Amino acid sequence: MLSGSPRPILLAVVAAGVSSVVTQLLLIREFLATFHGNEFVIAFILFTWLLLGGTGAWLAKIVADRRPAGAGALGGLSLALAGLTPALFFAVRGLRDVFFIQGTSVGFYPTLAYIFGTLAPYCLLVGFLLPYSLFVLRAGRSGYSGAFVYMTDNLGDAAGGALFAFALVHLVTPLQAVLIANLPLLGIGWYLAGSGSRFNPATLIAAGAALALLVAGVFGERQSLATGAAQLVHYQESRHGRITVFKDREQYTLFSDGAPVLSTQNQGVAEEAIHFPLSQLDDVDSLLLISAVGGMLAEVEKYRPARVDYVELDPAMSTVEFSYGLLRTIPGLEIINQDARRWLRMTGRSYDAIIVNLREPETFQTNRFFTDRFFALAKSRLAPGGILSFSMEGFDSYLAEPQRRKLSILKATVGRHFRNVLLLPGQSTVFLCRDQPIDADIPARLRAKGIVADYISGYYEGDVTPERIERLNGLLVAGVAANQDASPRLMRVMFSQWFAKFDSSPVWFATALCVLTLLYVSRLRRAEFSLFTTGATAMGAEVLVIFAFQIFLGYIYREIGLIITVFLAGLLPGAWLGNRLSGRGRSVLMGTDLLLMLLLAGFLLALSQGGDRLPVSFYLVFGFAVSVACGCQFPAALQLGGAGNTAAARVFSADLVGAACGTLVTSVVLIPWLGLFPAILCLISLKSVSFVLMAATHDA
Amino acid sequence: MTRSGRRRFLKFGALSLAAASCPAAARAFWPGGGQKAETSGAADIRGTIFKNDAPESLGKWSKEGFLFERLADAKVVCGVCPNRCVLAPGDRSVCRSKVNRGGTLYTLAYGNPCAVNVDPIEKKPLFHFKPRTRAFTIAATGCSFRCLNCQNWEISQARPHEVRHRELFPPAVVREALRSGSASVAYSYSEATTYFEYMIDTARLAREAGLNNLWISNGFINRAPLLELCKVLGAANVNLKSFSDEIYRKLNGGRLQPVLNTFTTLHEQGVHFEMTNLVVPGYVDDPEMVKRMCGWIVANLGPDHPLHFLRFFPLYKLDRLAPTPLSTLEQFRTLAMAEGIRYVYIGNIPNHEGANTWCHNCKQLLVERRGYAIPTFEIKGGSCGYCGTRIPGVWT
Repeated sequence: MLSGSPRPILLAVVAAGVSSVVTQLLLIREFLATFHGNEFVIAFILFTWLLLGGTGAWLAKIVADRRPAGAGALGGLSLALAGLTPALFFAVRGLRDVFFIQGTSVGFYPTLAYIFGTLAPYCLLVGFLLPYSLFVLRAGRSGYSGAFVYMTDNLGDAAGGALFAFALVHLVTPLQAVLIANLPLLGIGWYLAGSGSRFNPATLIAAGAALALLVAGVFGERQSLATGAAQLVHYQESRHGRITVFKDREQYTLFSDGAPVLSTQNQGVAEEAIHFPLSQLDDVDSLLLISAVGGMLAEVEKYRPARVDYVELDPAMSTVEFSYGLLRTIPGLEIINQDARRWLRMTGRSYDAIIVNLREPETFQTNRFFTDRFFALAKSRLAPGGILSFSMEGFDSYLAEPQRRKLSILKATVGRHFRNVLLLPGQSTVFLCRDQPIDADIPARLRAKGIVADYISGYYEGDVTPERIERLNGLLVAGVAANQDASPRLMRVMFSQWFAKFDSSPVWFATALCVLTLLYVSRLRRAEFSLFTTGATAMGAEVLVIFAFQIFLGYIYREIGLIITVFLAGLLPGAWLGNRLSGRGRSVLMGTDLLLMLLLAGFLLALSQGGDRLPVSFYLVFGFAVSVACGCQFPAALQLGGAGNTAAARVFSADLVGAACGTLVTSVVLIPWLGLFPAILCLISLKSVSFVLMAATHDA
Repeated sequence: MTRSGRRRFLKFGALSLAAASCPAAARAFWPGGGQKAETSGAADIRGTIFKNDAPESLGKWSKEGFLFERLADAKVVCGVCPNRCVLAPGDRSVCRSKVNRGGTLYTLAYGNPCAVNVDPIEKKPLFHFKPRTRAFTIAATGCSFRCLNCQNWEISQARPHEVRHRELFPPAVVREALRSGSASVAYSYSEATTYFEYMIDTARLAREAGLNNLWISNGFINRAPLLELCKVLGAANVNLKSFSDEIYRKLNGGRLQPVLNTFTTLHEQGVHFEMTNLVVPGYVDDPEMVKRMCGWIVANLGPDHPLHFLRFFPLYKLDRLAPTPLSTLEQFRTLAMAEGIRYVYIGNIPNHEGANTWCHNCKQLLVERRGYAIPTFEIKGGSCGYCGTRIPGVWT
């Protein structure tokens, strides 16, 4: 123990908290960019983080039982953690092309294995550090409060979240953020590791190596993104994701989170997206474009509209699109950097055509542009005789079953709002929706208007034949349920398609997870079980907020740091309160269980009235309140579990493992498959089990 | 922990950290950055047979295999493609279409096409075979390859029972093809070799009915069945996916040499065929490789077989690559013509002059293609309308 003072150890806990939370938030973005991920990827990261964290906590107990915990070792581990962080980012970026063929997307199990494998060293170490710090403190002062260490960790976590959400995400690149967030840990690690002599060679080498890795991260950041032979000409971490532009000869291609989204030479797609809908109209005066395909504005210009509103959520994205010639400015163009649904809700303008150029509804962010409420909103902003169009992935010769279901759901959903819906099987499957008749002879309409469209005039009559149109529209299933914001049927189909593409199924994983969880839960004591359910509910609630935010407001990647920060920030006052009430452990657990159930019920009621009408602060206040309740339970459970190291490690682990399960089940099973509201009811049910169990214990 | 113990611990920690981060960090600092595409990921994605995956009963859309050999223990070896799947009773082939039931090889893809369309022949692409005609096109499930960029993966990587299909036995195919006014029957979309029995029976009937047969294939077929097919073939378009066995194994799950053998057999047999090369950025866009490929074509097949360079678009699993730049295709076209190939085309680019046919002798424009439409056609009786030079192909 350093001079008998616990302060350096507590500082190490805070510094590790700051480092780990910033790293976690950066990693979510990193993996989303690496795998162009859907919500599964976020769930995998949080799950892996928590599960391995729990394992690390358990390992700390084993190590401490065999060898007395010491401040020097804690310092060494802190240095290792600081140095490991940039190495982790290099590994995530660099190893993808080692394990997977360059340019390919990756399926469920390889993604899970990659995330697990790359995160394992870091997460085990992070999980190890917190209880180990407590053991070091207890080695110097027996009976040192575990709750206080927990609160200290919460302080570091909240500080890290705030640092990320309010400063780092706006100002610096990921590896610059890693450097900044790890400097305090490096300093305190060096201080603790060299408690005998801070200038002995081994301490200096270890601290120097960690610092060298952190600095190398900053200088190697751009190179670590290069892939293949194309030249990286633009790299930017916007608030909404990673934007890269690669130049291959004369062609520029814009990648968003690792997937190519716009290219300078994409004439066929641009012609289909624009001329299929606009050729239906006698005059095009005003037009709304939601997101973009390369070259589309050149096609729009052929109609000479008076006003073209182009809505793109990310200002950085639209700037890059124009500066690299992926889009070109035309008369009447207004670029609106806002969420398109919000724009449609707020604007007083009406449009002759609304063209949605978004990708497939494989995330909640895109799904919200293919729901019943969105189509109703779009219809309300269309001028009489106006047209709405959007595209899904095309097919060449055969409409596979998941695609058929997807198109059927879409037709059923949009068909509630438009008298006529026609699907055209071009390069993409284009939906044309309006109340007036729709003419499938696009080339004839373009000829009548005197509009030249090379791709359509050359290929339409061979590819989009009347037989194919009739067959496609005839294949769709009638009477299927509509896609809703809170019940994303389309996403289920997209998940099925994802699994079909990689010829895999999540069943084995789900079965193994269920068996292991049951085995683990069967070994828990009641207080630990309560904390297990609390961890599950807390993370389930966090995932609920993230997804609800995504579903209703649509810009989670900008705000995920803020959301996670409020969840972390609430733990500290909660833990303080719980510590104050620790003499009444069982009552605290039951009371907070009840509070959590009430909060979730209130959340459900509020969302059911329309989540997009709720202010952002509502989501944040809810998250804070949930985390206060959860934080309150931890000291109470610690008190019920016993004061020893074993009890502390078990309680830490129960919380983390519960959180891991809550994350995965809520995000991968409950919300996509049951919908948002049933997912909330499931979490309430889980908490009620814990409540009843605690009440039964009291009675006994 | 003692001081020496701590020192050992720290040294170990520092060294472990350095060792763990070295490969990834080294790559980040590598000049040019990033892993080379050819060395990334798995080196070989070739398919394997499916053990005990045969259905309980065969059903009406099955037929005894065209070419197989019986081995000991009731095993069979399929002789249609170079995969030469050795199947024990109950096993399913790599292509998913053949099974061993009781020591006999059966195809499960017979009379049950999952895709039936009438396409312009230019879509295949076949530019030198009966232009402006239509092809009645069928496909059953299955493929001998595992191409990461397959545009028909929903049927090529599926078992026959997993898809919706029509019932269309060979006589019905011919009837429908004639009714649709098509000049040809094309076997396409998935890999036609995997439903060889269905194809050959249909092709024989089609030939008798005066229809042409078009084989659109990856060219992965053994010589004996190919010779049988050549007897009834009108034309073929065969993919030459790259000129590297490594890339064949990595991107396509196939091998190069059997495909080259197919080209030489088709050439020997006098079948009109055209070659297609999809230019995948980072893999198949090496000019040196293209030069070698064209050199081989000229030396072994002569200068007259048309070669199509197609633009790649991100598809299926290979969806994190940019499309092929136009200038790459133009460069390859120039390069192939300089090597001596007379008719080289650029595909998947609307209205590019590289899709037109120019006389190799007088350089006049003979066939102008605007998509599938042909506004200009100056070939008379199979010869250039300007200088009379014979233009390879079947034009009427």
